[in-house]
Amino acid sequence: MVLKYIEEYRDGDLARAIVKKIHAVSKKKLRLMEVCGTHTMSIFRHGIRSVLPVGITLLSGPGCPVCVTAQKDIDAFVEFARVKNVIVTTFGDLIKVPGSSSTLGKEKADGADVRIVYSIFDAINIARENKDKEVVFCAVGFETTIPTIAAGILMGVQGKIDNFSIYSANKLTPPALAALMETDGVKIDGFILPGHVSVITGTNAYRDTFEKYNIPSVIAGFEPIDILQAVLLLVQQNEAGKPALENAYPRAVSDNGNVKAKQIMNQVFQVCDASWRGIGEIASSGMSLKKEYQKFDAAIKFDMDMPDVPEPKGCACGQILLGLKTPEECALYKKKCTPMTPVGPCMVSSEGSCAAFYRYS
Amino acid sequence: MTEEKVLLDHGSGGKVSHVMFSELILPLFENPELSKQDDGATLDVEGTKLAFSTDSYVIDPVFFPGGNIGDLAVNGTVNDISMCGANPMFISVGLILEEGLPVKDLRTILESMASAARKAGVKIVTGDTKVVPKGKADKIFINTSGIGVIPSHINVSGSNAEPGDKIIISGTIADHGIAVLSSREGLKFESEIKTDSAPLNRMVQSIIQSDCDIHVLRDPTRGGLGTTLNEIASQSKVGIKIDEQSLPIRGAVQGICELLGFDPLYIANEGKLIAFVPEKYADKALELIQQDEFGKDAVIIGEVTKEAPGKVFLKTRIGGLRIIDMLTGEQLPRIC
Repeated sequence: MVLKYIEEYRDGDLARAIVKKIHAVSKKKLRLMEVCGTHTMSIFRHGIRSVLPVGITLLSGPGCPVCVTAQKDIDAFVEFARVKNVIVTTFGDLIKVPGSSSTLGKEKADGADVRIVYSIFDAINIARENKDKEVVFCAVGFETTIPTIAAGILMGVQGKIDNFSIYSANKLTPPALAALMETDGVKIDGFILPGHVSVITGTNAYRDTFEKYNIPSVIAGFEPIDILQAVLLLVQQNEAGKPALENAYPRAVSDNGNVKAKQIMNQVFQVCDASWRGIGEIASSGMSLKKEYQKFDAAIKFDMDMPDVPEPKGCACGQILLGLKTPEECALYKKKCTPMTPVGPCMVSSEGSCAAFYRYS
Repeated sequence: MTEEKVLLDHGSGGKVSHVMFSELILPLFENPELSKQDDGATLDVEGTKLAFSTDSYVIDPVFFPGGNIGDLAVNGTVNDISMCGANPMFISVGLILEEGLPVKDLRTILESMASAARKAGVKIVTGDTKVVPKGKADKIFINTSGIGVIPSHINVSGSNAEPGDKIIISGTIADHGIAVLSSREGLKFESEIKTDSAPLNRMVQSIIQSDCDIHVLRDPTRGGLGTTLNEIASQSKVGIKIDEQSLPIRGAVQGICELLGFDPLYIANEGKLIAFVPEKYADKALELIQQDEFGKDAVIIGEVTKEAPGKVFLKTRIGGLRIIDMLTGEQLPRIC
């Protein structure tokens, strides 16, 4: 297996040339937000902050699906693990996120059947192989992940798999950007828009938000050259006073996105309001199963409705996700909250901004 | 140690394992030999310097591309003893078998152990076998311990790194971890990646018997190169700087790491060593390592600095700088 398009986008000479241009153009102090957790990771892994002008601050936005999962949803996952004869299937990152009393990892150590899967299809196979048990899949993801979950549900229908259900905490990106812009105190001079999400949604999905708020916005890939190029475009837009919605990831992202994936997503799911950790309720920012697929809804099947709980005292995850605080400005950071003893989810997920700050700075 | 129960993280080889070792295990067993925290203990037995080491193997799956739990268990202990600067001589084997394990599989594993011991030139001289009821173990667990003699003039330890030392790695990183991972159920990659499990005793002998003045030898197994470099930086109270451009990684390994969101710096190796050598001997040591059958891809990846003691830095390919911390728990696949 040879993975193309990595080496080319990590080329040192090319990177230095773009960095030189950024330094030449950059005059204003700018606060740029990368919305996606994978961007946050890449920025740290390649030491991108260390090569940018000091006036450019990169903020991590609400784009790590684990980080924005509401506490009550984590509590629901934990509660499923406690139900007899239930196998909880989850993506790896979620296993350590603290709910109000426990984590999936601790429940596993206590004997619950919690299994890490790489996609919903693994969870369906587990359901097929364990007919005498109920398999619940913790559905946490953005537009990148939701179509695969929808495809999994359709597979469940086709294969008449009735011991399988999902708990949907899925979320949509554009409504979150709009909510961010409406929040008091938020000061952002440009968005580095997510790459994977945009592959599905297409550039046009951001058009309304862009036109309403007139904020520089650039879709970027995940390699260092991609990110540096996006920063350069955002700096140029800011310096020229000409905000634009640009696609700097054209090798993967089109104007209309992946039409088929969106079709499947909208066949199975409908838009609903959703609760975001630290931010609260955002209208039309979630996806729940449509009526005809509700037999796959674990919340209905198990009558699971966890109460809203206050987030841990002192945890600044919410403000960090909005770019109002940096991890270092949180009182718990590196003291009570470390990757070994995380208080908030931003410290758990490898793509969470607190964990990334802790690991790389 | 704050947790009430042992979690899988405690076995990751990273930070959480270190906390358990330093806060729970070390205080109870406290002695100068254990406190050195090297891969094996260095013992003075009536004027002879002995290296003594033990390791347990619980790998899942038991058979994986390029090897199985048997040769892994022999090579692992051979290497731990070698990293003390010793020539491994005798090995013990403890088998814990799950009721129902096919004898055919057991035979294959034992044959691999015998063959690995022959190749490394060590003898398996004592052992023990226990069988537990089905479900009380996972097919087979193996413990191996071993001893070897350290030549009297040799003094290698994780505490001996000095500013100016060059750091050599004997070949590509992350092969073992990715070979095992990609053969696990649910991840069916079509790849040719095999474990790098190999005995490194001859490679070690060739460099320590030269006049290269080797300061540190380590095999970056569990926790990967990143964790091992952190251990050495903290044991020796020095800074370490490595260059991303120079790190040898196979394309397929890199590809799988990218797909799953893993950092190859934290993925296990089972047939690689890192050597810290004074600059003036670095080229010679490198050449000797490259002459060994398991060291053909060896390169210099960085150096020891006076600045930032206890910290490891990576110069990225785009010219940026980032800290390499110790692994803080099992690496989990990312979700998007």
